[in-house]
Amino acid sequence: MKKRLLVAGCVMLAAMALGVTAGAADEELVLFTWEGMFPDEVLDGFEEETGIKITYSSFDTDETMLEKLAQAGGGDYDLVIADDYIIEQAVAEGLVQEIDKDTVTNFGNINSLYQGQYYDPDDVYTVPYGAGIPLIVYDPLMVDIEITGYNSLWDESLADSVAITANYRVVNGITLLSMGYSMNEEDTEVIAEAGEKLLELAPNIRLIQDDNTQNALLNGEASVAFLYTSQVTQVLAEDPNLEVVYPEEGLGFGIMAAFIPSEAPHAEAANLFLNYILEPENAAACMNYIGYINTIAAADDLVDENLVAPDDAEGEFILNVSEEADEAYNKNWTEFKAACGQ
Amino acid sequence: MQREKEMKKKKKSKWWLCVAPLYIFTLLFVVGPMLYMLVVSFATNNGSGYGFYWNFTLDNYKKMWDGVYLQCFVQSFQLAFFTTVINILVGYPFGYFMAKLSKRGKQLLMFLIMVPFWTSSLLRLYGWIIILQVKGVLNAALQWLGILEKPVKILYSYPAVLFGMVYALLPFMILSVYNSVEKMDWSLVEAARDLGASPVKAFFGVTFRLTLPGLLTGVIMTFVPSMGLFFIADILGGNKIVLVGSLIQDQLTRGSNWPFAAALAVVLTVLTSLMLWAYQKLTHSNLEGIF
Repeated sequence: MKKRLLVAGCVMLAAMALGVTAGAADEELVLFTWEGMFPDEVLDGFEEETGIKITYSSFDTDETMLEKLAQAGGGDYDLVIADDYIIEQAVAEGLVQEIDKDTVTNFGNINSLYQGQYYDPDDVYTVPYGAGIPLIVYDPLMVDIEITGYNSLWDESLADSVAITANYRVVNGITLLSMGYSMNEEDTEVIAEAGEKLLELAPNIRLIQDDNTQNALLNGEASVAFLYTSQVTQVLAEDPNLEVVYPEEGLGFGIMAAFIPSEAPHAEAANLFLNYILEPENAAACMNYIGYINTIAAADDLVDENLVAPDDAEGEFILNVSEEADEAYNKNWTEFKAACGQ
Repeated sequence: MQREKEMKKKKKSKWWLCVAPLYIFTLLFVVGPMLYMLVVSFATNNGSGYGFYWNFTLDNYKKMWDGVYLQCFVQSFQLAFFTTVINILVGYPFGYFMAKLSKRGKQLLMFLIMVPFWTSSLLRLYGWIIILQVKGVLNAALQWLGILEKPVKILYSYPAVLFGMVYALLPFMILSVYNSVEKMDWSLVEAARDLGASPVKAFFGVTFRLTLPGLLTGVIMTFVPSMGLFFIADILGGNKIVLVGSLIQDQLTRGSNWPFAAALAVVLTVLTSLMLWAYQKLTHSNLEGIF
């Protein structure tokens, strides 16, 4: 009974909200995302076309975003762009509303590769906005073998010349992928096996670093590097002769996506904005600007070719694992790092 | 009588007022955190994410005997040892001869030793990267001079880390040796020489013995900090040389295992305290001289 009352109340509230917004004509849109996620031309273009004024509000980390959004009870902000795993939490906490596909007529422009993911299996809450796929980049002048995937990194000819990112789950993950397992393996025996294999990679490691890893390729310290997407984009801009490899064993995925909070004051404006950034030209401008893998199929021909993933690309997300598994991953990592220094 | 008592009372309360801030500060910001760390080191880690719960366990200490973590301690001690030895070999003669220079010479050298401290040590390390990297200044110079045909990889190795450690800590060794040589009574050396001691004998019999406290201070000033300067190992070693310091940081942030980090920190603190204690036993003095 209470629940029903609550639902009725919610419906009434929603109706009232709709009535108000429809009457007042949306004139504002509060964006909530990291700094520097949109080029000015796109923001200005939207304001000119619709007369809706955009207020850009920013956060540092996904966690801060969720905290603020939860405090505002799903209100205050009209459109949020954040990482996949935090969106899953936001949806679970009831802080997200469905996208109005009657307004977002360009919804079909999205690349289906980035849809139906764990945080939004039915594609009702989110519009992907750029994907991060760690890739292998190498200098063909300094490498004699053909690099096709993670297993190539273990090749003896690459002694002391590989730079990798310093995320313990990602590095454990690609080792598991190279062995045909999932990046989120829970079986501690398999993880220990991966640890053994990781130790064999140690002699090839030149550098383990999370920030500016791409510089190792530019200053000659490494001839092969395993890099985050933004680093791949940066290094290719500096040296277009470098080769990029989508590892054949499978990819690690991270997707940023936009959603409308449950109590967004200007939900209609948010839907209009989503539709606007799904226009191919606008999407291309955005992706070129942020330098992440393009998630809008209709814009594939317009973006920088390095930002288009191959059609058969299939990725796996890093998910939370059990305490025992996490402990095993940690141990692998410490042992691996120590072995690299020998 | 009455007045005297009141005066005494006043005196007493004033005494408290003067010392209280110091005590409160020490309790709050030194003793408090140390105790908290000690207590946390016996707590149980919360599996998912940050945090822990109050369930007494010795697991965090047992875990340290695991090969890889023990190796971190060995690695740290080894690096600190080599750093200190090189610092003695370079820093002692440097400090000794510096103390024998003219006043102007001393001032100039002192100035040169101090100048690098005006820049953040992190920035200076990145400067070394620019110098030492494969396409860097040093390799280019050596190739230009015809000494090298192909550039060599210097960075991200044990020697690179050792070099960074020595570089960062050498000034402390030089200054403490310099201080003790400067204060030394040279007439004792003269007396030894007059009584027939050879220069070498006079040096080891008199000078070296009199400057030993300075040298030992230098040893403490390099050995103890080098246990904690893990960022040098991270930056110049490419994260490949895992010291206890980086292990603690790793467990606090990425590994999110605070109790284990606390246990590591407790052991590290105990070990360095032991060193200070040994120093006091050895020299029958405390570290006051340094500061």
